[in-house]
Amino acid sequence: MKDKKYLVGSILLVIILVVTLLSRYYTSTTYTKNMYYMDTYITIKVSTNKSKDKVDKVFDKIDNLYKDYHNLTNPYDENSTLYYINHNTSNEEELTIDSRLYDLLKLGMDYYKETNGLLNINMGNIISLWKSYRDKGEGIPSKEEIESNKEHNIEDIVLLDNNKIKKTHPHIDLGAIAKGYVTELASKTLKEEGITSFIINAGGNVVVGKNNKKKAYTVGIQSPIKPSDIYTKVNVNNKAVVTSGGYERFYEYEGVKYHHIIDPSTLYPASNMQSITVITSSSSLADIMSTYLFLLDTDKALEYVNNHDDLECIIYTNDGKTLKSKGIDKYE
Amino acid sequence: MNKNDFILIGVILLIIGGIFFITTRSNKKVNTASVYYDNNLVLKIDLTLDEKEYIVDGYNGPVTIKAGNGKIKVEDEDSPLHLCSKQGYIDKSYESIICLPNKIVITFDDIDNSIDTVVK
Repeated sequence: MKDKKYLVGSILLVIILVVTLLSRYYTSTTYTKNMYYMDTYITIKVSTNKSKDKVDKVFDKIDNLYKDYHNLTNPYDENSTLYYINHNTSNEEELTIDSRLYDLLKLGMDYYKETNGLLNINMGNIISLWKSYRDKGEGIPSKEEIESNKEHNIEDIVLLDNNKIKKTHPHIDLGAIAKGYVTELASKTLKEEGITSFIINAGGNVVVGKNNKKKAYTVGIQSPIKPSDIYTKVNVNNKAVVTSGGYERFYEYEGVKYHHIIDPSTLYPASNMQSITVITSSSSLADIMSTYLFLLDTDKALEYVNNHDDLECIIYTNDGKTLKSKGIDKYE
Repeated sequence: MNKNDFILIGVILLIIGGIFFITTRSNKKVNTASVYYDNNLVLKIDLTLDEKEYIVDGYNGPVTIKAGNGKIKVEDEDSPLHLCSKQGYIDKSYESIICLPNKIVITFDDIDNSIDTVVK
């Protein structure tokens, strides 16, 4: 009789233990953090069973990450390292710069070749000219203004060894690559800290981890025509989803939409499509690819995507059609 | 073990299961919006009520919000382009209003299980 009671007792104990452990696993809490850097509103949402203190520490780390890169790469801030490279008046022929910025510049230079010159990080002058009109919300630059701001020769950027760059007064703007790059670092930080279920949304740049509640994260893709509508969605784990074009950062003047992505071959905003959404594993690559593909015509963009592994896209064409790459069905 | 032991185990299992179910099931839909200033929550609005006006302090001065009956909009604010007051009403859980010059962000608290985030 006594033995039986022990048996029942220990069975119950084991069950309670298992249930407690399980519920601890399943009752992961959601934490959210909002930040504003790089001209973008950034939201991080994590689902984890780690303590609030621990999560706050990780959030602070990521906040500092974005802040550091914001301060390094802001071309309009006189105190940024990038401003120093573009405008410095020192006598030295070579400038030693922060290694983090050096690595980012190197990435930009590498992709100049891969994209046949379409991803050009030396377009600061023409970009800021267009930005000045976009900020006003009306008018477009005159031919003379464009002519006097057109200089964007990539060879003006000369990276030397040991984090050095030649003093050439280039016009570097990292807007096309910095956000994706830092978001990649942020997602790595989360994973290193043992947080694997997360969403980072930095405007057009989204990175997700592995969903611990459902099969996958569902990312809605906003219609470039009607911001309150989602025209399609994808289900992904451990992927970056990045849109170029979209409805943010454009203005309309005399019935024509002017985007923020300037085509280096025309020096005017690209107009081959309304928007393109790219899905791949690396946020850094996704950011670069979405800008590059946005500058191609739709056939060439699809062809490029279909010829590369771990790269998919959805295009919203100028006449409102949706075009998808061959492998997109695995995310639908 | 006799019959009573099994009944006891069964009852306890049911109770544990019940607690487990209650603590882990996803939040029910709530009809509220959160207003943040510079990342700090400054106002929670019950959207099930009839529409009325709320005023919060923004970076450039007061920001007037109209909310109720399941939707919300920024009615008036001081900014160069007035983007957020031009945006009009939002009523879907994945939508948000972001007033950068005023450092004001408005989001819904409702959890939409069909969409986790939106890429713009």
